[in-house]
Amino acid sequence: MERVKVTWFHAVRGCVTVRIAGSGTERLLSDAAGDGIELLALRRTSPGEIECIVTVGDFFRLRQHLRRTGCRLRIVGKRGLPFQLARIGRRKFFAAGLVLFFIGLYLLSSLIWRIEIEGNERLTDEQILAAARAEGLHVFQWSFRLPGAEELSRRLNTALPGTAWVGVEKRGTLVTIRIVETTEPEPRTLLSPRHLIAKEDAVVTRITATRGRPVVKKNQRVKKGDVLISGILGGDGLHVNVPAEGTVRGLVWHEYEITSPLVRKAKTYTGERRTVWHAVLGDRSLKVSGFGEPPFAKYESVLRQENAAWRGIVLPIGRIRETQLEVTFVERRLTEEEAAAEGLLQARADILRKAGADAVIRAEKILHRKTENGKVYMKVLFEVEQSITDEMPLVQPQGE
Amino acid sequence: MRRINHRLRQWTARVLELPQDVVFDLPRLTMIGDRQLYIENHRGVLHFSPDMLRLALPNGKLEVSGKDLVIRGIWTEEVFVEGIITQVSING
Repeated sequence: MERVKVTWFHAVRGCVTVRIAGSGTERLLSDAAGDGIELLALRRTSPGEIECIVTVGDFFRLRQHLRRTGCRLRIVGKRGLPFQLARIGRRKFFAAGLVLFFIGLYLLSSLIWRIEIEGNERLTDEQILAAARAEGLHVFQWSFRLPGAEELSRRLNTALPGTAWVGVEKRGTLVTIRIVETTEPEPRTLLSPRHLIAKEDAVVTRITATRGRPVVKKNQRVKKGDVLISGILGGDGLHVNVPAEGTVRGLVWHEYEITSPLVRKAKTYTGERRTVWHAVLGDRSLKVSGFGEPPFAKYESVLRQENAAWRGIVLPIGRIRETQLEVTFVERRLTEEEAAAEGLLQARADILRKAGADAVIRAEKILHRKTENGKVYMKVLFEVEQSITDEMPLVQPQGE
Repeated sequence: MRRINHRLRQWTARVLELPQDVVFDLPRLTMIGDRQLYIENHRGVLHFSPDMLRLALPNGKLEVSGKDLVIRGIWTEEVFVEGIITQVSING
């Protein structure tokens, strides 16, 4: 039988293919059409018989007209949703399987399959998972048994120490726990018991002990190695050792030998320049422009390589730009005073570098100066106020 | 009276430029090549065979001849015929 297409609308309602035989088929058709019955795919199979498709509803109305016109009706085929449902109704196990499949799909998709943890540094994943499990959040848990995400976040935040914020996000079968940990101050460095002693011979200008017992006073002269702040508190058999802390500043004298030449040589650029290009392939280069001897007596070359690149990949093809800069050397002759001032400047910078950033030069005195062989020789005494502390660990006497 | 009524209708149709089938209860035929024929406003099937379909009209008859004629659908007012149509004659 030729399978005639019917619209989905007809298929949902169910269609019956019928054959009608008899002498008054034309009358039947007219009557049926007049009654509003929809006949589809009507064709004549033999002189006394026609075949057509009617919907299930129209089929029962068609039967009323059969008797009047004296035709007989025979059902050839059925199709559509009502008939398929009836067929499923006969296949009980298949239908049950179908239902079970959807139930299984629903149940499996309402399980928590995976938990991801983000943003933890100090807390381990295990700690967080344990806290989550205590709140009922674990793998293979039913989604509908979980409290709301906000409630979970709040509870986890209180359960986990050292978290500033916890976010729980559920996306289908995946739960993401985001953690922001609190920032804690760095722990204080542990110090072992010690004295603070003098680094140099000095006169104390200021002494403040934040821990320990100050031994020296202001304006007191100390020698290198003298105890400034003692780490031993108490005395006479009842004492405790502490790490001494504090600042001690004092005046320190530095004697400095300075040598400063009278003639200075300086390199200067004249401003004349020339550009030479090289082509580069791999690690070989070839000069392509700027042939011939450079027109300068003395010059410096500045090389700059540019390689071709494509999408971040540097290719082994490129060019080198060589800039030749003419230089001249200029000799500068200084007076004795200028040379001495320059030497002092250098000496001061050097002293401050050695004595520490908070050092201050209080006074300076030129003890001796002479000019010989084109150089100025000087001996200078600097009075510098600086930190004079050094550490000396206190060694616990073992046993008695 | 009937005559006046008829003339009034004719005049209305002319003035308002209405399609004739609406005014005079005439059949409307839509034919697509020689394959499909759509007939509106019929009054029943008089004869149906693969070579010939004869339909009743409000005033007259319609004959469709051809080969392998099939009625794709038949409703109260319309008929949809498919097949190889060679001839359509009306009131012949």
